[in-house]
Amino acid sequence: MRTLTPRGWLLACLAGIGVTTPVQAQTPPAGRLLASNCFQCHGTSGRGPGFDKLAGKSASELYNELKEFQRGDEGDGIMARHSLGYTDAQLRLLVDWLARQR
Amino acid sequence: MQRRHFLAGAAGAIGALCSTPLLADSDPLLVPVVPAATIKARVTIVGAGMAGVTLAKFLRLWSKGTVAVTLVEREPVYTSCIMSSLVLTGQRTLDSLKFGYTSLRRRYGVKIVSGDVVEVDPVTARVLLSDGTAVQGDRVVLAPGIAFDAVPGLSNPDAMPHAWKAGAQTALLAQQLSAMAAGGTVVLTIPKAPYRCPPGPYERACLLADWLAARKPGSRLLVLDANPDFVTERDNFSRAFFDLHGATIEYRTNVEVLSADAGSMTLDTSGGPVHGDVINLIPRQTAPALVHAAGLANSADGRFAVVDMLSYASTAAPRVHVIGDASSTPQPKAGHIANQEAKVCADALIRIFDGGQPDPGPVTNSACFSTITMSQASWLNAVFQYDSAARTMVPVSAAGGASNGWSARNFQDMGTWFGALMADSFG
Repeated sequence: MRTLTPRGWLLACLAGIGVTTPVQAQTPPAGRLLASNCFQCHGTSGRGPGFDKLAGKSASELYNELKEFQRGDEGDGIMARHSLGYTDAQLRLLVDWLARQR
Repeated sequence: MQRRHFLAGAAGAIGALCSTPLLADSDPLLVPVVPAATIKARVTIVGAGMAGVTLAKFLRLWSKGTVAVTLVEREPVYTSCIMSSLVLTGQRTLDSLKFGYTSLRRRYGVKIVSGDVVEVDPVTARVLLSDGTAVQGDRVVLAPGIAFDAVPGLSNPDAMPHAWKAGAQTALLAQQLSAMAAGGTVVLTIPKAPYRCPPGPYERACLLADWLAARKPGSRLLVLDANPDFVTERDNFSRAFFDLHGATIEYRTNVEVLSADAGSMTLDTSGGPVHGDVINLIPRQTAPALVHAAGLANSADGRFAVVDMLSYASTAAPRVHVIGDASSTPQPKAGHIANQEAKVCADALIRIFDGGQPDPGPVTNSACFSTITMSQASWLNAVFQYDSAARTMVPVSAAGGASNGWSARNFQDMGTWFGALMADSFG
């Protein structure tokens, strides 16, 4: 195991102080950047104008619709193809974010 | 509660400021005005096209006003390239493709500077305008679009317009087409990829073929492609070229334009001389001079800016970001995905200004519709996921591809898509 020099200890302590200072990173809401892929066709934050309005629909409704598109239950339109671009975890994150928009 | 209180006040202030009918008095200010001391960073954006305006809007919206944005643009309004081939057939007006910056300024608090950027300092991120003024931010984001290679012999580019930046050349090409006698020859040249909007030249060819057959009987459309095959959407475009429009379109591949002579309306090509009554010459493309001068055009072909696709920071200058068509990525050069690149960049910058790191797994998408006739369209879709090992965006194969054929319904959807995309970018 590597031992720290006095200078190394000083740097380590300063780094520790850095973690507790008020300039901590504010992580953007999970799913927002993913969901922004929907905005071009469904409006900023899913509020329209465009195709179906997404904002405020429940997460389960949005998720189930996306799964129907993925299975081809909604035909072979562009959303059937588009919905296949996301992992299941990504779909969960983006529908949760959209469901919180009003 | 505080926020609601603020919004009510802001609506009143907007009403008082409103001097044009572009925004209704009731439109809310969507970004709060914050005290100067709480501004975390300043970003300068060069270019107010699809990428630049989307970045400006989402930096302001998502930072809740704590990132100050100055957007520098030389044109007073944007003219959309998307849908602009419909101006050639008289189905749309150029005015219907114009989008202003009022909403960005009023609703999002973006500072719009009208000016021509002559220099970007890649180290200090300082931007110099032609009138001698300078804009200094913490970061600069270049969204300048594309420039065209000069065509040897073509001293007046208007003689063979590209109409690949919507505007005066679009109107000019429309006039030239309209003035052409029936039975004439139109030539459309497609440059070597990568160029702006991969399906664009093919959809324009389809649209013009349909228009020529109806309005200029007996005319021929000669498509000279510098590429070895259809660059994209091969199934639909080959059926359209060879079957649907087979009587009008003649398609030649691997043909490069070497020089042009406007006097005789002749192109010297790698396949021999070609004459046209109207020539829509779309030259090979590169990042604008500004990007080259700053030393950022470091792609293998020396044409575009290589970027870190987590933040769109130039690999040659970490405080300078490049989004949209001027960047070199596996993503297509097109307005819809430029909008998404801008959102990835906005999110990354906000995280960086807060002391964090960019999202390690961004996703982007490209979706568009192509006119196959004057009333029917196809669609094309792609989704890109970040590959952390390869440090690049990779297309998801299951999500990539085109419609099986074309339809009037798709043509209608194209209008809805366009309206939504422009509202998400400019509204």
